Amino acid sequence: MIADVVKNESKNEGKLKYGLFLGCNIPFNRPDVEQAMRKIFPALGVEIDDLMGQSCCPTWGTMPSIDIVAWCAVAARNLCLGEEKGIDLMTACNSCYGSLNEARHKMLTNPDILKSVNDILSKIGKKYEGRAKCRHVAWVLYKDVGLERIKESIKYTLDDITIAVQPGCHFLWPSEVYPDKEEDPFNPKVLRELCEVLGAEAPYYSKLVDCCGMGALRSTDPEKSFTLVKEKLECIKEELDADLIVTTCSSCLIQLDDAQERLRKSGKLNFSIPVLHYVQLLALCMGFDPEQVAGISVTPRDEIIDKIINKR
Amino acid sequence: MIEPEEGVPTILNLSEISEREREEEEKVVDIVREFGAENLIYCMQCGSCAAVCPLARVGFEWYNKKLIKALLLGLKEELLDDPTPWACVACNRCTEVCPRRVSPFEVMFAVRRMMVEEFAIPTLAIEGLRALYEYGHAVYMTGREARKKVGLPEKPPSTDSDEKALKDLKTILRNTKLAELGLIPMND
Repeated sequence: MIADVVKNESKNEGKLKYGLFLGCNIPFNRPDVEQAMRKIFPALGVEIDDLMGQSCCPTWGTMPSIDIVAWCAVAARNLCLGEEKGIDLMTACNSCYGSLNEARHKMLTNPDILKSVNDILSKIGKKYEGRAKCRHVAWVLYKDVGLERIKESIKYTLDDITIAVQPGCHFLWPSEVYPDKEEDPFNPKVLRELCEVLGAEAPYYSKLVDCCGMGALRSTDPEKSFTLVKEKLECIKEELDADLIVTTCSSCLIQLDDAQERLRKSGKLNFSIPVLHYVQLLALCMGFDPEQVAGISVTPRDEIIDKIINKR
Repeated sequence: MIEPEEGVPTILNLSEISEREREEEEKVVDIVREFGAENLIYCMQCGSCAAVCPLARVGFEWYNKKLIKALLLGLKEELLDDPTPWACVACNRCTEVCPRRVSPFEVMFAVRRMMVEEFAIPTLAIEGLRALYEYGHAVYMTGREARKKVGLPEKPPSTDSDEKALKDLKTILRNTKLAELGLIPMND
């Protein structure tokens, strides 16, 4: 089956082109992340297709909680939008990355599931062949664009800035289903290297791979969710005294940014650390308008943006 | 049963409860295996999954290892009222470390699927399903000031601005188990 997966890889034929898969949280909640991607990728020589008609991946609380074939059918329609154009998808949302790749893995390893999915897709004149997959923007930047090209493209460097990285769960596990894998998913290096190439320090800290408590955990029990995020933030403060938290996941971004403010308001946290998605940080370093690529946050970012751009 | 001292939580005797439920017509373990947790029976209760589980860390009752034990013992009713499976963030740390390839994540979600059949589904999940069907987005917001503020068109290039695509998605959803369950209105 592994051989089949390899055989089914989409061919990009030298030029870098991806379908920009947005999901829900990015276009509606954090559109500055969407705008950051629309700015950086063309500037780095990566063409993006809008994947017109894309939908929710589907996220964990919806179809994956109902039925496996139903989950895969919704995912397959999204994957088909790329497959029909001979391109892979790419996303900046870990939930989309997880859901689409888990669904693809199920379809490629279980012919019964793929057949049931294609029976459903035939009603709208589509068929999923298993070729198109979903890449993560961080991996596209790391592997396809490459650290050298990123280094050449930036206008501002992050000297004297210490970053606490938050890769997020669905960037790492289960490694079996993902098209790109860290050497050790419990000691991830990719996001650290992506930050270091911008000139920042991005050291290891003991809660680096810990969950931020977002998603189902927060909607089920906010108090327990805030316990997790508070522990993580305190660890970042104590061990790194970080200037900035940088994540590759839109859910982690919302949780670390928004829950931080809630904890401060209820007197449970007495410090503030700005949070950015990696694509936003890169967009800032490349010189794009901060209002457009990093204009939406709960925890203030003005100071760090000023420090990056004006070196104050 | 020995009365616990004050402040000491009651100890659930899983074996005792399972005796009661052994009479259940269909074995719960067969139901969850049908719903995607095929490898549940290979669990040897080593606890690797619990050691890395965020839910176990913050004190949810039926975290992965304990949930699997309960299912193997035949418990069902005790689980239906508990929110634990719906708090699972699907992080799959458990899947990564399981030496028996049980995939405890699949067990959590198989239990969700079993709960859905019994209508033990959180309101928020119903709202997400409704938004997915109506708009193609589980998280959907009508206010578009943020998009305009950052210089983007009011609508993303999704089902939100593509009627045909939304119709296709609805056709797909109407041909899945979601339609059989009748959890949300699914008109054309």
